[in-house]
Amino acid sequence: MTNDLSTNDSIEISRRKMMGLVVGVINLGLIGSIVGPMVGFATAPLTVKRKQRWVELMDESMIQPGEVKEVNYSMRVVDGYHEIEQKYTVYLRRGEEDVICIDPACTHLGCRVKFQSEQHRFVCPCHGGVFDDQGNNKSGPPPKPLERHPVKIEAGKIWISREV
Amino acid sequence: MRQQKFRPEDAPTLSPEVKVDTPREATAEERLHIDRPSLTDWLDLRLGWYGFVRKNLDEPMPAGVGWWQTLGNLLMTLLIFQFVTGFALAMYYSPSPEAAHASVKHITYAVTLGSFIRGLHAWGSSIIVITVVLHTLRVFFWGSYKKPREVTWIIGVIIFQVVLGFSFTGYLLPWDQRAYWATVVGTRIAATVPLIGHGLLVFIRGGEEVGALTLTRFFSFHVMLLPATLLVFKFLHLYLVRRHHIAGPVEPAKGAPVPFYPNQLFKDAIVLLFGVGLLIFLAIGFPPALEAIANPTGTDFSPRPEWYFLGLYELLKIMPSGWEVVATVIIPTGITIGMFALPWLDRSKSRHPGKRQWVMMMGMFIILLIGLMTLKGILETPPEHKATQVAENTQFHPVETAALTE
Ligand code: HEM
Ligand code: FES
Repeated sequence: MTNDLSTNDSIEISRRKMMGLVVGVINLGLIGSIVGPMVGFATAPLTVKRKQRWVELMDESMIQPGEVKEVNYSMRVVDGYHEIEQKYTVYLRRGEEDVICIDPACTHLGCRVKFQSEQHRFVCPCHGGVFDDQGNNKSGPPPKPLERHPVKIEAGKIWISREV
Repeated sequence: MRQQKFRPEDAPTLSPEVKVDTPREATAEERLHIDRPSLTDWLDLRLGWYGFVRKNLDEPMPAGVGWWQTLGNLLMTLLIFQFVTGFALAMYYSPSPEAAHASVKHITYAVTLGSFIRGLHAWGSSIIVITVVLHTLRVFFWGSYKKPREVTWIIGVIIFQVVLGFSFTGYLLPWDQRAYWATVVGTRIAATVPLIGHGLLVFIRGGEEVGALTLTRFFSFHVMLLPATLLVFKFLHLYLVRRHHIAGPVEPAKGAPVPFYPNQLFKDAIVLLFGVGLLIFLAIGFPPALEAIANPTGTDFSPRPEWYFLGLYELLKIMPSGWEVVATVIIPTGITIGMFALPWLDRSKSRHPGKRQWVMMMGMFIILLIGLMTLKGILETPPEHKATQVAENTQFHPVETAALTE
């Protein structure tokens, strides 16, 4: 097809092609220069590192063997642009020797499980998940046991640690 | 439409073919030279407005088009209401855990007509969801997604997703118990996505937990990205609807097409009267509630989503342990992909429901499934526990309203 074109025409065509290419490259650069930084900016929370911190809950004497207690506490945490006193709830269960700390967030989709003392079990109000009093999933949709937080007892006080 | 008669002295030059003595309508070129045009003429010459309006009022409606085709117009009108009331609410709303609840309480109980404006916006979202579903169903049953309207349908599916995005992000904004817990659970759905689930959850929440950055994120989506996206796609949708014209009944009805104005526009107006009337009635009669401020502690609150997500919520109940990804990801994604692919899944040339039985059966099955699950959810969810009173009886203490910083 170049045969039908005079030299001038083919120069013209390659000139047009060249300019089209440059416009295309500039456009790609423009898109990249806004999309790139945007992705980094919006995904910043993914890079935030959390660490375990200990918090004192209460006197050891406040919970008897065989008892399950709902405990509220608060910790200073960074919530985005500010530091706040974040409030949390956990269940403490005292066995014969040890104390375990069970997180109330259902392992299905995160509703807060409620302890039923007569039946010795935790039930989830959302989709009917049931856990035994150690937090093991017994029936309903939850796929795994309730999460536990590390517990230590020091000088008669119960401490737990959680990731914040 | 008014057209000025052409007067020869207005035109500086005349082409020889023009017979000056017979009065006729002036061409646009000739009218440009009218000495002192009226304001409407002056504007029309610049905007081409009359032509545009005329063309749309004359849009041919095939015989058999009627009430079912009024839903799109109702949607457009309701969307305008959402934009206006949303803009108004944003004048008083403040997206932070300290202030959000207090600002919504202020809107509801202190600002003149605040409860009404909030009611229009809240009920508007429900009516829009119902109307979008009805509009989609009518396009589905009429087979109007077929050639050449595939892209109109695809843009419709995108709009559908955007509408659901609006409700999900808007639900959190009052920062009361209902809002907070529905979002805790709703965002956890993202965590069930295989492999990238946790990253997705942190991205959506703006952190590991629902907090200040979740609120700013949702706010930014709700008032910036989604409205802009919706506007663009809505105009594309309308452009395509006009470009391909309305598809008539599945089997051509007898009779010639009639212009959009006045027959169809009249039906549209009647439907608008009832649709918007219902909206105003609900906004006044059932003002939206505000529950106690979001409180991450305690184990007494049972989260419940907005009613149109109850179908999904029920589906989650019946999925056995370990299979939740079927309800959270596989079924919703499957339905969405199915909707996008519908014009190609359905190969039959005919739009008649009898000629595309396979697609009809699948569609009916999914509609029935969603409908029954939603109904089950509505029947089983306890009625809102005196939500309005809770908020009204709470005295306004600036300290109390800052749940997370107390
Ligand atoms: C806010 C959202 C929407 C607006 C404002 C809107 C508006 C409209 C309007 C005004 C029409 C013309 C006639 C009629 O109402 O039937 C129309 C037709 C149509 N819509 Fe929508 N629509 C929306 C959402 C959707 C959705 C979610 C879908 C599909 C998933 C969809 C698919 C279609 C199709 C395929 C047509 C052409 C119908 C035909 O030619 O008979 N639309 N839309
Ligand atoms: S969130 Fe607990 S069962 Fe679904």
